[in-house]
Amino acid sequence: MWFNRFFSRGKSEKRVLDKIRSHIELLCRACEIFRSALENEDHDSMRRISNLEREADSIKREIISCIYEGAFLPYLRPNLCKFIETVDDVFDLLEDTSFHAMNLYLPHGIRDESNRVALLNQRMCEMLLITFEAMVAGEDLREKILAIRIYEKKIDDMKFGILCDLKELSIDSYWHGKSLSDFVSGLTTISDIIEDAGDYLQIIHLSMH
Amino acid sequence: MKVSEIMTSRIEYISGDSSVFEAIEKMIEKRIRSLVVKFRGENESHGVITARDIVCKVIARKKNLREVKVADIASRPLVSIEQEAELSEVAGLMEESGVGRVFVREGDGIVGVVALLDIMAGTLIMRARGKNVV
Repeated sequence: MWFNRFFSRGKSEKRVLDKIRSHIELLCRACEIFRSALENEDHDSMRRISNLEREADSIKREIISCIYEGAFLPYLRPNLCKFIETVDDVFDLLEDTSFHAMNLYLPHGIRDESNRVALLNQRMCEMLLITFEAMVAGEDLREKILAIRIYEKKIDDMKFGILCDLKELSIDSYWHGKSLSDFVSGLTTISDIIEDAGDYLQIIHLSMH
Repeated sequence: MKVSEIMTSRIEYISGDSSVFEAIEKMIEKRIRSLVVKFRGENESHGVITARDIVCKVIARKKNLREVKVADIASRPLVSIEQEAELSEVAGLMEESGVGRVFVREGDGIVGVVALLDIMAGTLIMRARGKNVV
């Protein structure tokens, strides 16, 4: 493995890499469940996001511990930790957004667009995993990072449209408006954080050359 | 990659009787580059007016924006494709019909639009996923 040429060939590095992989795979699963639950208005599935977030939290703690027990060269550790924290931020936001989704009735147009954003978020997570695997294999990340940015730009464009539609809605109460606004904000901010995670992968990759 | 994954699903309509000025207003307000044109008394038939049509056919020829009707410069019929189509099919259709924008339909309805930039973006995403494309 390319990583092994740069670091000690110890088992701890491999353990960290395996756990980071599991962390991102869990994120892909959470985004897929979120997307499907949103499409089908399935509250039971939506509640599973909280369990996955807790599972991710525990994986994150294990990774950070492994790193500070000595895995990887010290100059790489901060960016590796930042990457893991950033992926964890996605879990937190996904969980918050799933709570809002369960308490909301979304009008037809906004629902369709929200479903599409949820699908693109899922695709971005899959691309993040592909990027991570490419980094471990020592491949060029340029195309992968570009693909993540394309998805982010697409979601950003859709956000503007959803916000325009929101302004047309009649809001019953402060809490209804707040829930709706927080839901849209969360749903469309997930991609920003995944993009940040992708940027950290690129920084780690560059710092190894 | 299916066209539905990369299309823009926000479609805005305008009546063929509207002025080009109104079309510009709508495009700028909604931050889009094309509008689907509905012609009066014709249920099925749609056309399209793009930013390029407005610039080349009206502004460049110094015509009055409020006097020229959308129907006068709209292109028709609309070039469209099923939402299950692959990206390569859309690219082929663009090349064949000489348009830079293909509308996506589901049954009889229009559900999205794909532009040249979307095709390029989709192609890059497929490459990043390791799919064997150009």
